[in-house]
Amino acid sequence: MTVALAFTTNEAAIVYTARMMEEDRLYFVAIGGPPLLAILLSKQLHAPKIAYVVEDGTIAPEMPVPTPAFMVGAGLASSRAVAWTDMNTVDFHAGLGYLDYGVLAAVQIDEYGNFNSTFLGDDFDRPARRFGGPGGATEIASLCWRTILMTRLDRRKFVRKLDFMSSPGYLDGSAGARERAGMPSETGPYRVVTERAIFGFDEETRRMQLLSVAPWSSVDEVLGQMEFQPLVAADLGSLDPPTEDELSILRADIDPGGRTISGDWIQLEEFGGRLRRVAESTPTRG
Amino acid sequence: MASNGKTIAILDEGVGAYRPPDPDGMRRHVRDNKDRRLVDKRMSEQDAVARFVADGNYVSYDTNTWRRGPSSLMREIIRQGRRDLWLAAKFSMHDATLLTAGGCVSKIDVGWMEVGSVITEAMNAGRLKLYEWTNGALAYRHLAGALGVPFLPLRYVGGTSVFRNSGAKLIEDPYTGQAVCLVPAVNPDVALIHVNQCDMYGNARIFGPGLAPVETAMASKRVIISTEEIIGTDEIRKHPGATTIPYYIVDAVVHAPFGCYPGTVPGLYRADLQHLMEFGVAQAQKKMGDYLEKWVYSVLSHTDMLEKRVGIEKLNLLRAEETHTEGYYT
Repeated sequence: MTVALAFTTNEAAIVYTARMMEEDRLYFVAIGGPPLLAILLSKQLHAPKIAYVVEDGTIAPEMPVPTPAFMVGAGLASSRAVAWTDMNTVDFHAGLGYLDYGVLAAVQIDEYGNFNSTFLGDDFDRPARRFGGPGGATEIASLCWRTILMTRLDRRKFVRKLDFMSSPGYLDGSAGARERAGMPSETGPYRVVTERAIFGFDEETRRMQLLSVAPWSSVDEVLGQMEFQPLVAADLGSLDPPTEDELSILRADIDPGGRTISGDWIQLEEFGGRLRRVAESTPTRG
Repeated sequence: MASNGKTIAILDEGVGAYRPPDPDGMRRHVRDNKDRRLVDKRMSEQDAVARFVADGNYVSYDTNTWRRGPSSLMREIIRQGRRDLWLAAKFSMHDATLLTAGGCVSKIDVGWMEVGSVITEAMNAGRLKLYEWTNGALAYRHLAGALGVPFLPLRYVGGTSVFRNSGAKLIEDPYTGQAVCLVPAVNPDVALIHVNQCDMYGNARIFGPGLAPVETAMASKRVIISTEEIIGTDEIRKHPGATTIPYYIVDAVVHAPFGCYPGTVPGLYRADLQHLMEFGVAQAQKKMGDYLEKWVYSVLSHTDMLEKRVGIEKLNLLRAEETHTEGYYT
């Protein structure tokens, strides 16, 4: 048996997100993490001049690759920017509508694209598992025109009811819900990117809608990994697996330190001219 | 509920605690306590913390222990055994953990912070209460404090559980009729800000991006600046555009080379990853007591810690390996 391709769930989500990125749009990301790696990959692939703004006030940096091992504590992450400002300033820019896409990672997500990055459990004061908090995700998900969320497809992540709503999607899905909560109009979640499926949101109901599935997975498998049932697009797309080229740029050029080699491994082999899954490590993490 | 033309409707509000904004109290504090003259404010970290940080204070810092933050002042606060502090954790790293492990903290306003067993155990034991905000909302609350106004409107936080657990309110904006969120100003009792350069009066320069160092300094009743370098006022006056915090806002100037250690001051020295790993391992193995003994209690001062626990060789290495300096000192 020859393994034609092997990648992690995290790598796949980074690759799919990178493919979506457009050079004529401005992106807002938190410091470090998969969203920033997706932008760096898109720069190497098809959008060399793509610009992004970081929560710490860095505007349009030209961060060198390979990336430093420890991005939050590295001045290199802010290098060759056009401006060094501060958190309030870049949030003002987002509030004015300059920031097209916010790209964020989520711990838990519901059918309206609301998400949690605060804690798991049923008691806020005594959490089963506490995370760092929303950080800048709430302002990014509220003020950018569109939000792209990255996560792994898992029943414990795609839940009916969030343990805590750190950041807004379409709230209860009703028309004008975001505006009634004080957010700018015409904003909201745009895509949810996972290793085996990409979702959008129905314009009418604001419910999550399955848009494309990896050929090595299936609609049934995707739906089986979700606690709620999303809408399924009539013209379902196919999600091309990460290419060797994409993976090698990500691994060798951008992140030789191996930050992206996380999550579960998916192994594909070529069979009758098609790639099929031969192995997948069992999800172990929440 | 709708406005009747004379009152503004509060549509919803969170249940989180916050200290009621008091802009006049802040003004009076400034009138009665801030020196308008150029006076030498240099002092030791011991004196600065003893004079300006009290039990029960609301403390805000900028940036964090990993990048251009006041790590040496935090260790001194632990050494002096401050209690019952309320922290503003806007894009915090392990700062909150460190101060909580030292028994100094009872409340944290959270934007983002490193969370491990120290924080969760303190919460579960009822020793620590968290209030939810976001990085941006906390930076913005400091901006309101810096502007001397009681609150500011903003277009996020509403609709979320963060809103529910914060002190934010949702109102009907009297100008547009649309819903808009309000957050209360924060005027911390004390700000701890680590800067690149500062003169003896407190005229400070910060190089590189940051969270909200200027707003934090302006909003706070007392401001302790720790600085990598003390420079002459002549130098300050030659490049006035580089000064972001003027002297009259500052109460104490503490000379602290490697003041962010184990974090980085970009352009000057890199972070000590080995130390950060040691911190992570200590927390994972529940040996924070040993960590604090080694790095805080068993040394007399920041200088003593650098000499005894880090060593000149390591310090030179951290400087030498911070090779990217463009934009900071050039």
